[in-house]
Amino acid sequence: MAQNQPLIEVRDLVVDYGRKKKTRALHGVTFAVEPGETVGFIGANGAGKSTAIKTVMGFVFPTTGEAKLFGYPPSDSRSRLRVGYLPEVALYYPFMKARELLELYGGLSGMNRADLKSRIPNLLERVGLGGKGESLLRQFSKGMQQRLGIAQSMIADPDLLIFDELSSGLDPLGRHDLRDVLLELKSRGRTIFFSSHELSEVESLCDRVIIIHKGRIVKQARVADLMEPLNQYVIDFRLNGSAMPDAVAAENPQLENGIHTLNLRELDLYTKLLGALSDSGCEVIRTSSKTRSLEAYYTELVRGEDAA
Amino acid sequence: MPLKLWLIARSVLIEAIRRREVYAIVLVSTLLIISIMGIDFFGLKELTKFYRESALKVMSIATGLTVVVLAARQLPREFEMRTIYTLMARPISRTTFLAGKLFGVMLAAAFCFLLFTLVYLVGTLYLGGDIPWVLFAQHVYLQLLTMLILASLSFWLSMMLNLDAAITIGSLFFLLAAMFTNVSMYIYDYADAFGRFVIKIGTFIIPQLTLLDLSERTTHAQSWSALDFTTMAMLTGYALIFAAAYFALAMLWFRKREL
Repeated sequence: MAQNQPLIEVRDLVVDYGRKKKTRALHGVTFAVEPGETVGFIGANGAGKSTAIKTVMGFVFPTTGEAKLFGYPPSDSRSRLRVGYLPEVALYYPFMKARELLELYGGLSGMNRADLKSRIPNLLERVGLGGKGESLLRQFSKGMQQRLGIAQSMIADPDLLIFDELSSGLDPLGRHDLRDVLLELKSRGRTIFFSSHELSEVESLCDRVIIIHKGRIVKQARVADLMEPLNQYVIDFRLNGSAMPDAVAAENPQLENGIHTLNLRELDLYTKLLGALSDSGCEVIRTSSKTRSLEAYYTELVRGEDAA
Repeated sequence: MPLKLWLIARSVLIEAIRRREVYAIVLVSTLLIISIMGIDFFGLKELTKFYRESALKVMSIATGLTVVVLAARQLPREFEMRTIYTLMARPISRTTFLAGKLFGVMLAAAFCFLLFTLVYLVGTLYLGGDIPWVLFAQHVYLQLLTMLILASLSFWLSMMLNLDAAITIGSLFFLLAAMFTNVSMYIYDYADAFGRFVIKIGTFIIPQLTLLDLSERTTHAQSWSALDFTTMAMLTGYALIFAAAYFALAMLWFRKREL
C-alpha cells in the first residue's frame, strides 16, 4: 500500500439487497478515511451505515462501485491483515473462555502464542474484564460481551479499527471506559472509523464526521468546521466615553439604545475582544455564548433533507 | 493456513466437548449396549456376536446423527450469534473458514468414536470375546470417512436450507442410504431401461455408505479377513470423492452468500 493512501476508500458504491435485489440500500456512496483520522459515521436506523461498513469488510457485495481497505478489495484477505472490527451485536461462543476466544482471534490475525500470552491479560484489564480470562462466556452479561468484543477487535493491535455501533450494549461506565480506550488509541495514531447513534460521543472523539441519510452521503466535514459556524458568542458593551478599540470596530458592533452588541463565531476572537474592551475602559454589560451541538446540526440537516 | 485451520477446528472441538449433549448421546447409547449384554437368549458365544453387531450399529448411528447435527448447525449458529463477522473480519479466506469447521466436526466425530470404542472394548472384554483389532481399526477408519461425507453434505444442506430442514434431510440421508442401496439392487432387475438408467444415476449421486460399513465383518471376524491395502485405498478414494463434491458445493454456496 502506498504511503498516505486512504485506509478506507469507497467510491460510487451502490448496494441493492433483497431476493431480487430490488431494494437499494446505498445510492452511489463515496468517502475515504485517511491514516490517523478518527471518523464518525452517523445516520438514522436504516440509513445505510451498517451496509456500507459490511461492504467495506467484504460481508456484503457491491452492486456497482467499489470499496477498498488498505488498497485491496475486501475479497482479498490481505485487506484485513491490519483491521480490527467490532460488529453491532455479537454473542460470543458460550462454551469458550474469554482467554480462548482472544487466542482464537489473535491466532487468526497471525499472532504467535508468546505474544498472545503476554497481551491477553493486559487487554482484558484494559476493557474492564481483568481476571475474567478463565470464565466461560455463557456467564458474561451483555455489557461484558460488548467489552470482550472491543478486546477482540484490538487483540492484534491493528492500524485501523472499525466499530459498527460503537457503544451499543454498554452502560454509562462502560461508555466512559471505552472513551478512554479510544482516546488512547487515537493518541497512538490509530485510525478509527465508527458508526454511532451517540452524537455527543462522535462530537467529542472525532476529527471528522460523515453523515448518511437514506443511503446517500449528505455531509462530510471536520467536526471543528461543522461546529464553528453554529456557535455564537455575544458581548454587550457601552463606550462610556472611551474610544472603541480598532479590533472591536472591525467586527461592526450593532448599536441600539446606547448599547453596542458584538456577535462573534470564534471563541479565540471572543476572548481577544473581551480583553481589548476591558483594557480600553469600555463597560462590558453582558456576555453570553451559545454553542450548538452536533445533534442539533444533524437534526436540522436531516429534516432539511426530508423536506427537500 | 494450517494453523488458522486448526484454530477454527479447535473452537468447534471445544464446543463439542463442553456441551453435554455428546455425553448424553454416549450415555444413552451405552445404556442401550449394556441392556443388550443382559439378553441371555443366544448363549454366551452368540451373545458376544449379537453384542458386537448391535454395539457397532449403535456406535455408527449415534455418531452419524451427532455429526449431522453438529455440522448442520455450524454455519447457522455463526450467523445467529453474529460471530461470523468477527471471524471473517480476520485475514482468512472463506475456504479456510469452512475447511476449519469441517476439520473441527471431524475431530468431534473422532472424539465421539473414541468414547464409543472404549465402551465397545470394555463390553467385548467383559463378555470374554476376542477383538479383531485390524478389522476393527479398518471399520473405525471407514466410519470416519462416512462421517466426513455426512459432515460435508450437512454443510451444504445448511447453506441451502434452514437448520431444521438440514438436520432432518441429513439424518434421513444417513439412515436411508443403506435402504436405497438394497432397494435399488433388488428392483434393478425388474426395471425397464429408463428405470435402470435412473438407478445408475442415483448410484453415482448417492454414496453407498454400506460399502464403508465393516460392522458385520468385524462381528463375524472368524469368517472374514481384514481388507487389503488396495481395497482400502479404493474405498478411501470413493469416500473422498463424495466428501470433496459436497464440500465444493457448500463452498460454492458460501462464497456467493452475503453475510
